[in-house]
Amino acid sequence: MAFIEIRNLFKRFRKVVAVNHIDLDVARGEMLTLLGPSGCGKTSTLRCIAGLEKPDAGDIVIDGKSMLSEGFVQSSKRGIGMVFQNYAVWPHMKVFNNIVYGMKLQKISKQEIRERARKVLDMVGLSGLEDRYPGQLSGGQQQRVALARALVRNPKVLLLDEPLSNLDAKLREKMRFEIKSLVKRMGITSVYVTHDQAEAMVISDRIAVMNSGNIIQIGTPREIYDRPANKFVADFIGTMNFISGAIIESIRTSDLLEVDTEFGKPLFCKGNAAKSFASGRNVFISIRPEDVEMKDSANPEKENTFQGIIVHKAYLGNFLFFFVKINEILIRVQVPHYIPYEEGEEISLYLNPEKCILLD
Amino acid sequence: MSRGNFFLTAFLWSIILFLVIYPLSILVVESFKISQPAGWGIRNYLEFFQDTYYLKTFWNTLVLSTLVLVTTTLFGVPLSYILARYRQWGKTVFTALILLPIVLPAYAGVFAFMIFFGKFGTLNLLLMDAGLIEKPINWIYGLQGLVFIQSLHLLPFIVLSLSAGFTTIDPSFEEAAEVEGASGFRRFITVTMPLCTPTYLAGAVIVFLWPFTDWLTPLILGQVDYLPSVAYINIAYHFTDMHRKYMGIVAVVVSSVVCISLFLIARRWVERKKYTGLSKGTTSEGRVIEPGVLLKASSYGYMVLVAALVLLIPVVLGLSAFSRRWVFEPFPTHWTLENFRVILMESPLLIRNSFLFSGLALIFGILFGLPAAYLIVRTRLPGKDILDFLITLMLAFPGIAVGVSYLLAFWNGIPIATHWLIMPLALFTRRLPYFLRLAHSSYLQLDISLEEASEVSGVGKFRTFLNISLPLLLKGVMVGVVMFFIMAFQEISTAIFLYRGGWETLPIGIYLNWHRGMEFGIAAAMAFLMIVITFILLLIIARIGGGILKAAWGPGGK
Repeated sequence: MAFIEIRNLFKRFRKVVAVNHIDLDVARGEMLTLLGPSGCGKTSTLRCIAGLEKPDAGDIVIDGKSMLSEGFVQSSKRGIGMVFQNYAVWPHMKVFNNIVYGMKLQKISKQEIRERARKVLDMVGLSGLEDRYPGQLSGGQQQRVALARALVRNPKVLLLDEPLSNLDAKLREKMRFEIKSLVKRMGITSVYVTHDQAEAMVISDRIAVMNSGNIIQIGTPREIYDRPANKFVADFIGTMNFISGAIIESIRTSDLLEVDTEFGKPLFCKGNAAKSFASGRNVFISIRPEDVEMKDSANPEKENTFQGIIVHKAYLGNFLFFFVKINEILIRVQVPHYIPYEEGEEISLYLNPEKCILLD
Repeated sequence: MSRGNFFLTAFLWSIILFLVIYPLSILVVESFKISQPAGWGIRNYLEFFQDTYYLKTFWNTLVLSTLVLVTTTLFGVPLSYILARYRQWGKTVFTALILLPIVLPAYAGVFAFMIFFGKFGTLNLLLMDAGLIEKPINWIYGLQGLVFIQSLHLLPFIVLSLSAGFTTIDPSFEEAAEVEGASGFRRFITVTMPLCTPTYLAGAVIVFLWPFTDWLTPLILGQVDYLPSVAYINIAYHFTDMHRKYMGIVAVVVSSVVCISLFLIARRWVERKKYTGLSKGTTSEGRVIEPGVLLKASSYGYMVLVAALVLLIPVVLGLSAFSRRWVFEPFPTHWTLENFRVILMESPLLIRNSFLFSGLALIFGILFGLPAAYLIVRTRLPGKDILDFLITLMLAFPGIAVGVSYLLAFWNGIPIATHWLIMPLALFTRRLPYFLRLAHSSYLQLDISLEEASEVSGVGKFRTFLNISLPLLLKGVMVGVVMFFIMAFQEISTAIFLYRGGWETLPIGIYLNWHRGMEFGIAAAMAFLMIVITFILLLIIARIGGGILKAAWGPGGK
């Protein structure tokens, strides 16, 4: 049984539906990320788990105990730790007092409180700063205080609400790994909210992609990236080329589908085993820029090979980015930096059918 | 420094020197004068702090200040929490009512409560008629009355500053405490209140200093053993006894020193510990709670109680104004317009003077305030911080100190106190910070690039000010203008020392009618008239400034 079970959760603010009847399971010790654009309901879901919002319907079960069905369990009674987007480190308390605040409310001996505070400060690398006020710390240090405060009571569940969004890019990247290894080491079940897909990829065991109150897809980072469930996920995670088309009836002996596109000749792509597409149906074929192969001379008769002209070239250091125009359609291509093509050159692109994903 | 800015600085500084620094230094100088044998020295101060009577007045004032602060805090904390956090109907109306005493003159409240809570006032008569009490209860003649009346007058300052704190601290601070296991009262004590202390203190200092400046309320209630009241009596009644006069001046200086130093200490502390606005990047708009039924009902009851006490003031004064011989009866029985006939027909001079003096003070205020705001916000001229500081300091200066120092400085030294122009000048000086603060903040909101665009197009600084800045500032400034007018219109502490026959204003008329034991109804009618005028002015502000709330919040003076 899952450690956190969310059943049919529904929450709205006046007329706006924030969370639209979602179901979600988080396994014990798992790090799950709620990922989505702003306003998708990820923070509302997290705040419902935290008990900071009261859902309008549904149930949340943490470690076998319902938070709603037998009366609303107050946030203070849920045994969770939470890191807030703006850290919410109390400015009128010293670092030490911030960290031991929650423990003081429990029946824990002074000796142990001090011991645990020392340990957690050591873990987040803040030893020696116990007597500072938050106003005397940098943003990154305040972030660590918030993390230490959430971890020190060994919470059943750790909730993180865009904890890195206020840090500068360099520090953000470093903290991702630190948070992940810290939480994994302690084996705490955690739910992480972010709108940053790279962050989600690094930090999560599984990602739940959300949009307008619904969970669109749940899976490991690799599943989400390689097999997006629909156009929204494909577009939101990474960069994607979309080619619209319609399925042609003739299906060959292999499991390849033939799709009519604006390229001027059919495009073959791997069928989606889970879904069957009727012929004539309008679909999108998507392919990542790094999966498109670029060749200067290829047999134009070969399947999935198309002639195009380079309209833009961008040098991005470790790779090159091209916009290639095929019959008025722009295809983005990412290739290693040593590929010697220039703008205006005619080249051919090969779209490997195995890499083409068929989407609604 | 450009020539224009140079003249501007010189102009502003000469006004400050002439109207603030010169009279106040004369006040200090006079406090070192010794009557017998005539000479100079610190003997007055030594005597002040050795004389049991003066020490007692000092102590009494301190006790009163403490009690008023405790009372307003005890009542203000739940009130501001309700107003800031609970989602309920009628919030705007209640907020406006509860904040109303800020714009009502303090003495109006005293008269109203004397009629209602006095020995043979409405409440006692009703209770005796009902047979609940044998003898009248002394509700207000004493420390308890002073605490009650001043607390009601000052409650808005605590409510304003605390609810500002409650609405502006980041909700996640409290949510974090809740997640950490602290719920309800504990969270309030350990997180919410400490985070609100800086804003609370800003209001608390105004409250605490009030008894050091309010001479009139104790006097009307027959309690004279308070510092400002003693100062007033010594100077206004015993001006022939030089020693008592000098001791009065010492009392004024002591009050002023207490006020200024506490004000500065509080300001420093608040600036050092500013928690609101510390966190960044949240979209939430403060915590709003949906209270339970019981809580909701009791919070309504509480708000209604406070609002009713506030409403007593205009209602009782109104009843009194339209009646005659309202004595030994719970409610008036004899209705008349006679009081207003006397005010409007026999002595229209008072009203004319009030409008004339306040109006002139207002014009001085605009002529001084706008350039001063420009100088402080838009330039980097040396000494502008000192200018800002000096003007802000006037916020804490007791009105009685301004009045006495003007009397001393402009009677013998530079004799302009013989001309009625001294009245608007004194009003202008006294209420200077009100106007400047508002001009200041609307200047800060005015995007400098709008002015720069004009200058780049080849228009000079002065024309830019007239064509671009002034029209844009006007809306924000207009609220300040009307507020300034209301404050000047009600001013008595300064004017009482300076008026001569024919220069009486409405507030002075109220005081004299009470003091000379003339018709009480006339004093009440005058106070009622003032309230009506204030209301009309408030409505005008609401029109300009968008909403009655903003109108009432304006004078918070922050």
